Formats: sequence, C-alpha cells, structure tokens
Amino acid sequence: MDQLSDVLTAISHPTRRAIIGQLANGPARFLDIAKPFDTALNAVTKHLKLLERAGLIEREKRGREVFISFRGEPLREIAGWLHEYERFWNERLDQFEQHFRNKKKEKK
Amino acid sequence: MKEAKKTLDVRVERTIPAAPGEVFDGWLNPTIPGNPWNAAEKFILDPKVDGLFFWTLNDTSHYGRFTEVERPARIQHTWVSPNTLGEESLVTLTFQKKGEDTLMTLVHSGIPDTDAGRGHEKGWNYFLDIFPGQFGNGSRKEK
Repeated sequence: MDQLSDVLTAISHPTRRAIIGQLANGPARFLDIAKPFDTALNAVTKHLKLLERAGLIEREKRGREVFISFRGEPLREIAGWLHEYERFWNERLDQFEQHFRNKKKEKK
Repeated sequence: MKEAKKTLDVRVERTIPAAPGEVFDGWLNPTIPGNPWNAAEKFILDPKVDGLFFWTLNDTSHYGRFTEVERPARIQHTWVSPNTLGEESLVTLTFQKKGEDTLMTLVHSGIPDTDAGRGHEKGWNYFLDIFPGQFGNGSRKEK
C-alpha cells in the first residue's frame, strides 16, 4: 500500500485515533498507552504496528525504556486529500458503531 | 465535446458487534445514532426499492431513491445534495458476517471532486475535531 492508504487505514479505527489523541499530549510507554483500553495487549501491539507503518508514531529508547511518540507530518501531507464526505461518513459510522458497542456492554 | 467530470469514491469500513440483520435494521431505523436519518431535523424515509428518502440538517437537504434493499446483506441508494452539485451519486452498503460481528462497508461513489468538497482547511478541521490536545509541533496556518 502507498503511504496515503497506510495513513487512512491507520486513522480508520477508533482505538488507533484514541492512541494518537493520547500521544498528542506527549510520548508514553507501551503499558501506559495500553492502560485505558479494555483490550488485549497484543491487540494494542497490532494497532501500534499499523500506526508505525503509517509513520504516525516513532519509538525512542531512553535507557532501559522505550518511549513512543506521535508524528504529525503524515497527517499534514494527507489533509488535502480528505473529502468532506470522508469526514461525514466516518463520523456517522463512528456513532453507529458506538451505539452497538454500548448495547453489547449493557447486555453483559 | 463535453468533458467528463472528475468524480471520487469514499470507502469506509467498520466492524460492528452485532449480527448482520441487526446492523442492517439499525441503519434504516432513524432512532439509532449514526445513520443519516438520525440527526435530521426533518426526514422522510421509505426504504424499499424505488422508495424515496429526504432529510435536512442545517438547511442542507439530501434526497435519494433506494435501488437495492436486500436484508441483511446490501442496501444501495442514490444520494443528491448541494455537495454533489445536485447530481446523483451512489451509496452502497454491504453487511458481511464476520464471526459474531458484522463487517459493514459503505462506498459513496460518483461524488463530484470539487475544491469546495476537498480542502486543506476541512482536512485540518477533521483531524483537530478527532484529536484533542496539541497537534504535532508545527503551527496551523489554515484559518
């Protein structure tokens, strides 16, 4: 896939957007990133791999710890590609998906 | 000779934690958040082949005609709005079983590719709406 596709894939998932939102406040360690999510650690690893492939995050070793930080450049590059309808449908489908996730949680 | 108009397609996918029939019904139920009719100030909806829909939000009206309604797998309808310059575009939704979930795919095709619809400022706003806090290290020039 080209970088535009990689970036669009990377931002197409609510968890990955939440991770970017978290990292926009500053670099974090893997376990800190995974903490807010009610999901398996290997799922978070997969999300991070997709974000890394898109160039949206980078890892930096500081002593014994690895810090993950957000890179905004790929988003700047694709901003001009985004159509109003892309925004519209993504927002609608986010709400639609959230409705079913809430409903499933209520059932449990 | 008439020049062919440039159009583009938008494709969005989501995995919805419910069976295809439930997701299909949800998309056509105006009380469920996220479908186009839910946020409308006023709407008309007749989801059957050759049935029509209308909805309006912030003084922008949208119209369409259902061309395929095949529960639980597929919905297709035309889509006309000021953003399509009054021309018919096409929205196709498919609902595929994926384990206990449904892979929902929405393809909006034949959208006129205009500067009004596609712009840096809108792109920026989209990201800024989604991502809280500071955005990278650069300054935001588009205002």
